[in-house]
Amino acid sequence: MNIRNPLIRRIVAGVSLALSSLTVFGSVDAALAVSYVPISGAGSSWSANAIDQWRRNVTQYGMRINYASTGSSDGRNQFKGGTVDYAVSEIPYGLIDNGRKDDLPTRGFAYMPIVAGGTAFMYNITSGGERIANLRLSGDVISKIFTGVITKWNDSAIAKDNPGLTLPDRTIVPVVRSDGSGSTAQFTLWMSKQYGSIWNAYCNKVGRNECGMTSNYPTISGMVAQPNSQGVSGYVAQKANEGTITYVEYSYALKTGFPVAKVLNKAGYYTEPTAQNVAVALLGAKINKTPGDNYLTQDLAGVYNNKDPRTYPLSSYSYMIVPTEAAGSFTADKGKTLAAFSNYFLCQGQNQADVLGYSPLPGNLVEAGLEQVKRIPGAEVADININSCDNPTLDKSYFTSAPMPSECDKLGASQCTDATGGAAGGSSGGTAATGGTTGGTTGTGLTGSSGVGMTGTMGTGPTVCDADTGVCSSVKALPIATEALGWSAMNWVITSVVFIIVLIIVVPPVLVTAAARKRR
Amino acid sequence: MFDDKPRRLTIIRDTGDKVFRGTIRAGGSVVLIIMVLVGSFLAFRASEALGVVGWSFFTEQAWEPDQGKFGIAAVIVGTILIALVAVCVAVPLALSTSLFITEYAPRQLRSFLVSIVDLMAAIPSVVFGLWGFFFFQPFIVPISKWLAQYFGWIPFLAVDGVDPTDPLATTTVYTSSSFIAGIVVGMMVTPIVTSIMREVFSQTPIGEREAALGLGATRWAMIRNVVLPFGQGGIIGGTMLGLGRALGETITVYMIISPVFTIQPHILQNGGNSVAALIALRYGESTPMGLSALMAAGLALFAMTLAVNFGASIVVARSRSGAAS
Repeated sequence: MNIRNPLIRRIVAGVSLALSSLTVFGSVDAALAVSYVPISGAGSSWSANAIDQWRRNVTQYGMRINYASTGSSDGRNQFKGGTVDYAVSEIPYGLIDNGRKDDLPTRGFAYMPIVAGGTAFMYNITSGGERIANLRLSGDVISKIFTGVITKWNDSAIAKDNPGLTLPDRTIVPVVRSDGSGSTAQFTLWMSKQYGSIWNAYCNKVGRNECGMTSNYPTISGMVAQPNSQGVSGYVAQKANEGTITYVEYSYALKTGFPVAKVLNKAGYYTEPTAQNVAVALLGAKINKTPGDNYLTQDLAGVYNNKDPRTYPLSSYSYMIVPTEAAGSFTADKGKTLAAFSNYFLCQGQNQADVLGYSPLPGNLVEAGLEQVKRIPGAEVADININSCDNPTLDKSYFTSAPMPSECDKLGASQCTDATGGAAGGSSGGTAATGGTTGGTTGTGLTGSSGVGMTGTMGTGPTVCDADTGVCSSVKALPIATEALGWSAMNWVITSVVFIIVLIIVVPPVLVTAAARKRR
Repeated sequence: MFDDKPRRLTIIRDTGDKVFRGTIRAGGSVVLIIMVLVGSFLAFRASEALGVVGWSFFTEQAWEPDQGKFGIAAVIVGTILIALVAVCVAVPLALSTSLFITEYAPRQLRSFLVSIVDLMAAIPSVVFGLWGFFFFQPFIVPISKWLAQYFGWIPFLAVDGVDPTDPLATTTVYTSSSFIAGIVVGMMVTPIVTSIMREVFSQTPIGEREAALGLGATRWAMIRNVVLPFGQGGIIGGTMLGLGRALGETITVYMIISPVFTIQPHILQNGGNSVAALIALRYGESTPMGLSALMAAGLALFAMTLAVNFGASIVVARSRSGAAS
C-alpha cells in the first residue's frame, strides 16, 4: 500500500486501529456469551411478571432465557413433550382434573419453588363517576359471584361485606381464563376445599361429572372468558367494561392500575395480597418433605384457614419444573444456564418480589430450591451463602413485625376508605406492597384511584366537600355517564409518529415512479 | 404420387428445455402433494377421535374430548358467522377501493394507494388482534348497542340478558362478540380482496370502455355497464377467496372472542367461537385424545376452506375476465 496523501494515510491508520480494537472487544464479548447457551421455557402467566423481570436482569451476565407465558397447563404439557427446557406451573403433575389424570413426564424432573404471591380479585366498578377502590369480599361471596349465584353488585350479601359502600345496580360480569391455567386451578382448588357445596352445585349445573380442582374454568352465560392473565386483566382494565371482576396475580392489578378486593380471612379481617400478608399466610403451608415425585409440593389447607389476622387466604407458591437428566434436546450446557439462572432468582431475585407484586420465598424454601438446582445436569457448584442473598424473609422480624390490618378492615360496621392494588400508590407498586398506603389521595376513599387506569384519560372524579363542616364525601347520586374518550398529548405524539413512519415507507416509491415517468 | 399426409413433427428438446419442464412440473405437483399430505395427515390423526363419537361429531356442541363428548356444531357455526361478518365488511370496502383506484384516482395517486393497501396486508395478524382487543373494541361496543337496541327484532341481531332502558346495564354483553371479531378479520382480508378486484377491473378491454364513453355514457354508467359486468367473476372470486381466508383466521379471533361451546347465533352478543381459535387455544394443553379431536376439527375446516376456494376458482375461470387471465 503506497499512500501519498498524509491526511488519507492518517485516516486509514485510524480506521484500521478502530477495526482492530473492535475485533479485540468483539472476541471478549464472544467469550462471555459462549459460556451460556440460550434456554427456553413456557408456562404460568401467574408468575410471568416476576420471571420476565429476572430474565431481563440476567442478560447482563450473558444469559439468554426465553419464556412464553402460555398458561400452566401448556407449560406442563410442553415440558412433558420435551419441547421446552423448563416449565413454570402453579400445580404439580398427577392431579385429577375433570376426571382425567395429568400423567407424569417420562423424563426425570423436580419441582423448585420460585416465588410466592396472592391470587387477587381485580375489579372495575364505578359509582357516581368515581372508581370504587376499597371493595371487600368474603370467601363465600366470591364463590357465589364466580358461580353465578350472586349476579348484581348491589346484592345484599356484597352490601354486608361493604357497609361503607353503596354499589350500583349493575350486573356482575365474572371474567375467567379460557386457557388451561394455574390461576384457575388455585382458585377452583380454594373454592372446592373451602366452599365445596357452592362449587359442587355449579359444577353439576354445567354438566361436569367430577368436581374439585380444574385448570379449565367451566363457563355459563354471563361470564366472559379470555386467554392468559394479560387477557383477563386487560379485559377488566378496559374502561367501558364496568362491573367486571377477575382472578389474577396481584402484580397484574398493580401493572394495570386497578384495585383488588380485600378478602376476608379466618381471623375476621379483610386483607390485601401484599407481600407480607402473603408471606405470613404461607407460614401455614405444608410443604411435602418426602423425597419422591411430589417433593416440595404444597398443601394449602393451612393457608386458607390461617388464624393470623395478617394473612391473605389465596396465597400460594409457584413452581418451576426442571429436568434432572440430560435427555432429548436438554444438554448439560443448557443445564448450566438453567442452574445459573435459578441460583440468581432464588437468591438475589427474591429481593425484587415485593416490588413486582409477589412475595419473597422464605429461607427454608430457598435452601430447598438451591438443593434442587444441584440436581440439574450440568449445574456448576455454586456455594451460595443464603445470608448474602438480601432476601427480606431471612430476618425473622419480616414475619413478626408484619403490620397488623387496621381496625377498619375488621369484619363489622366500619370500612377502610384507602384504595387497594394498582389503584393505590400511583405508578409505584412498592407503596402498595408495603401495606396499602394511598398515594396522593385526600382520604376521601372512593377517589384517588382514578387517573391511573390503563387509558390514562380518566380525570379525578368529583368529590363534594361541605363548606361548613369541611367533611368531604363522594356523591352517590351522580349520573353514571363516564367522560368521553379524550386524546391526550401522548396520543397525538404517537399518532403523528406512526403517520410519519407510514409516510417514510410510502413516499419514496411514489417519488421514484414519478421521477422515472418524468425522465421518459 | 405425393402422400398428402402431413409430416409428423418430432419435437427435439434440448437439455435446457427438459430441465425447465421438469422443474415446473415438479413445482406444480409438489403443491398438490403437500395438499394431499396435509389432508391425509389430518384424516389419519383425526380417525381416533372420529371413531369415538362417530356422526355425532357434526351435531354435538360441547367440547369435552376427555369425557368423549365433543363436536363441531357450535364452533363451525361460529366460524361461519365470523367469516360472514368479515365478508360483509370487506367486500363493500374492497369493491369501492378497487373501483376508485382503477377508475377514479388520478394517475399519480394510484401507485400510492396500491402500496397503502398492500401495506395493510403486511400487518401481522397478532397486531390486528391487539389493536382490536385494546383499542377498537371500546369504539364498536356503542355501535353494537345501538344495533341491538333498534334492530334487536331481527333474530340474529338480538342480544339476550340486557335491558336497553336500564342505564346501569353492563356493556360487557356487547364485547368479545362474533361481530367485533368479524369486523377486525374483515379489515385483514380487505387487502387481498381489493387486489384481486383491482387486477380484474384494470383488465377491462379499452375498446369496450371507449365504445361506452363514445356512446355518451357517463363514467359511472360506463363502470356499471362495462367494468362491473366484465369483472363479475373477479368480484365473486375475490369475495370467496376472502371468505376462505376469514374462515381460517386464528390469532385475532383467539384474542378477541370469549369462547362458548353452544350455537350462538346472536352476532352482537358476547361469546362466539371458531375452529382455528379453538385449535390455537387448546392444542398446547391437550391429551392425545384432545389433540385427535382438534385434528378432526381442523380436518372439517380444511375441507370447508378447500370447497370455498375451489368454488372461487371455478367461478373465476368461467367468467370472461378470468378466462383471459
